[in-house]
Amino acid sequence: MVNLLKGVLVECDPAMKQFLLHLDETLALGRKFIFHDLDDTHLFISPDIVEVLQAKFDDMMDQISFPLHEKSN
Amino acid sequence: MGPPKKITKKDSKAAGSSKFEKRRRPEDEAYAQLVDDDGPTTESDIPASAIKNAERNDEGIQEDEYGAKDYRSQMELKIDHSSRPLWVAPNGHIFLESFSPVYKHAHDFLIAISEPVCRPEHIHEYKLTPYSLYAAVSVGLQTNDIIEYLKRLSKTTIPQGIIEFIQLCTLSYGKVKLVLKHNKYFVESPHPEVLQKLLKDPVVQNCRLRPKDENGEDGFITSVQDKSKPALFGAKAATTTTGASETGDKVDGDGIVTTIVPEDITNFYEKIDNEDEEEEANLKTVSFEVNQEKIETLQKRCVEIEYPLLAEYDFRNDSVNPDINIDLKPAAVLRPYQEKSLRKMFGNGRARSGVIVLPCGAGKSLVGVTACCTVRKRALVLCNSGVSVEQWKQQFKMWSTADDSMICRFTSEAKDKPMGCGILVTTYSMITHTQKRSWEAEQTMRWLQEQEWGIMVLDEVHTIPAKMFRRVLTLVQSHCKLGLTATLLREDDKIADLNFLIGPKLYEANWLELEKKGYIAKVQCAEVWCPMSPEFYHEYLITKTSKKMLLYVMNPSKVRNTQFLIKYHEKRGDKTIVFSDNVFALKHYALKLNKPYIYGPTSQNERIQILQNFKFNPKVNTIFVSKVADTSFDLPEANVLIQISSHGGSRRQEAQRLGRILRAKKGAIAEEYNAFFYTLVSQDTMEMNYARKRQRFLVNQGYSYKVITHLSGLDSDNDLLYKTREEQGHLLQQVLAASDIDCEDEKVPGEGGVVRPGGSKRTGGISSMSGGDDAVYYEFKRKNAHNVHPLFKKFRG
Repeated sequence: MVNLLKGVLVECDPAMKQFLLHLDETLALGRKFIFHDLDDTHLFISPDIVEVLQAKFDDMMDQISFPLHEKSN
Repeated sequence: MGPPKKITKKDSKAAGSSKFEKRRRPEDEAYAQLVDDDGPTTESDIPASAIKNAERNDEGIQEDEYGAKDYRSQMELKIDHSSRPLWVAPNGHIFLESFSPVYKHAHDFLIAISEPVCRPEHIHEYKLTPYSLYAAVSVGLQTNDIIEYLKRLSKTTIPQGIIEFIQLCTLSYGKVKLVLKHNKYFVESPHPEVLQKLLKDPVVQNCRLRPKDENGEDGFITSVQDKSKPALFGAKAATTTTGASETGDKVDGDGIVTTIVPEDITNFYEKIDNEDEEEEANLKTVSFEVNQEKIETLQKRCVEIEYPLLAEYDFRNDSVNPDINIDLKPAAVLRPYQEKSLRKMFGNGRARSGVIVLPCGAGKSLVGVTACCTVRKRALVLCNSGVSVEQWKQQFKMWSTADDSMICRFTSEAKDKPMGCGILVTTYSMITHTQKRSWEAEQTMRWLQEQEWGIMVLDEVHTIPAKMFRRVLTLVQSHCKLGLTATLLREDDKIADLNFLIGPKLYEANWLELEKKGYIAKVQCAEVWCPMSPEFYHEYLITKTSKKMLLYVMNPSKVRNTQFLIKYHEKRGDKTIVFSDNVFALKHYALKLNKPYIYGPTSQNERIQILQNFKFNPKVNTIFVSKVADTSFDLPEANVLIQISSHGGSRRQEAQRLGRILRAKKGAIAEEYNAFFYTLVSQDTMEMNYARKRQRFLVNQGYSYKVITHLSGLDSDNDLLYKTREEQGHLLQQVLAASDIDCEDEKVPGEGGVVRPGGSKRTGGISSMSGGDDAVYYEFKRKNAHNVHPLFKKFRG
């Protein structure tokens, strides 16, 4: 029997993949979303999560980058 | 020193208790006490004008979405604006075009009256603050001159608010001076009316020492200062120190001293250039004598009535303290900026207290030595480690005629006989030590306290907290204080304090200019991004404790990058220093790469041995050091610096570390870079954030950082460590097995609080949990700073 699963292929660097796995494990987005852990740089994920995921990543970028216009003293 | 002590007491206290709380260990408990409680400082220590802030002057001005402000209503463009170099904004910020032909004059003037904010290549930003204006007044500028120069240099009219601000901050400052002359204290002022006003105050009157034969209605002593021979520096210093200001004093019948002054021709530009040779040259000064025991009351009262006293030391007329016999060697030649900074200090033939800010490696010690040779009274040099005590001694022997018998070291290792010596070199902790001392040290301390010191040189002043400094001041009597530092900034608010405990900032050099002239090395700053290995990143994400930090420091690709860079530079014949704040990482890296390392517990002998080997042994080209080497380790040979872990987002540490390689290299007219500063950063971790924060100071000095995302040749090099997954796995196991103590930065006394935005937790034995050894459990909340500039938000998709 053939099982059909619609999904999105994500390619990223190994560290990013770990972050995605982490989000998946901790249910940070409310549920699990990774279908398959393909290899070091590829993941197969659920298509309807993509939008939420992109928003989440922006937040993380903000955390890492230092706000340039904090009051200088 | 009587001037304002604090901006607002409450603010700094609040910051001290929340964000910058110190984590204490028993051994630095005594120290922490010194740091933490600031002693009673009352609001009345501050003249009201010091609280003023020009920043608010432009409220209500329209801003566009990028934060640009529309000042057209307040500033009118002059017709010949293109030949003038300044913009003066109503909020106290001043912008200077560094390509203007009159840049040099404007620059010297701005340094005197304002704080440099940001100095990249073409446009420099300065800011007027009450403190900077106070400093300007104390080096002899007058309110009207400041406003007049600003008007002349500005492209536009000066906003009314700024003029008022300057007037408010300067009118009452610097009008009266407390001068020590012929071993009597005088309150001196060029303005008789000010003295009249002061004397109407009952408290001041009480402090006055009236001469027995009182005559004249006010009984002021009038004298005119001879300003034609300010102290000169350089080769001639030796002769001028003895010869200057010997204008004959004619004493006439009433006991009034009058002196005749040579005329001084000044045009405005010349005055800007030589603002240290003040107006007073032509002015009569009036003074009255003060009762020595009531000095402190007087100082306090003067601050209260808004006439803070400036302390000056007329060392040439001090006959009670014996001269010490030192001079600069003829070979010691001062560089122009060193001379300039010293001219500010000795501008009117007397010594002012204050702070001189020069980049590391720009010859701060020579400035200190020259100051001591100029004053020629007993000198006390305070620095912050035993190693730098040795270095100061060497500096004295190198630049001046002082020999071993005159220089006395007072440290826990070396206790020379202090009696009869002219120069004492010691550390802050030695002086402020509160526990029991050895008998010998006790004797020295007593001797030290009994002396009246001519000059006190404070090395690396930014490292000492106000409380500790106050302690030094209560223990040691000194006529004038010279603070030396490279980075007058702290992550906490304690700088303002120091400014007023020691004195105003007298001079601050521009790093890029010194670099261009070849006085300091030309440095390429680079930030190397090291990708986190997947396993480490996984652990990083699930770890919530301080072990996070160990994970990104021990990132295997960081080890590989370090090794690669070391190899690369060893091949070029460079000398490399590797910095790591984390001791666990330091040891691991050093042992793996088979290099010598120095950290806190390393003994003095071993340190010196390693440093000597690094200097002279061609086989030792790389050393690993912890933060003990941040300041005052003089390693002139080093020209490569690799930073693998650091103290959070401390800007000062970054600058101090850069300073380790700044000393000008041989053949240093630099066209290309001759020194390299690498910071290794683990990608996608908090470290990126810290790195950005740390760089701000140097970016403001005009340095630019190059980001290297990948070192070419790294992958093809097969000799590097941690190539395989298994090896990396082993490393990970070691890191995870490390104890909590290993995760912490090394603690060095003299450091301020730990600034760590993330959560932090400490565990220990039962006794510590119950508060037995003062380890308290606490956490910090991170303040969410989400005000990204709209310009950057926009392009992020």
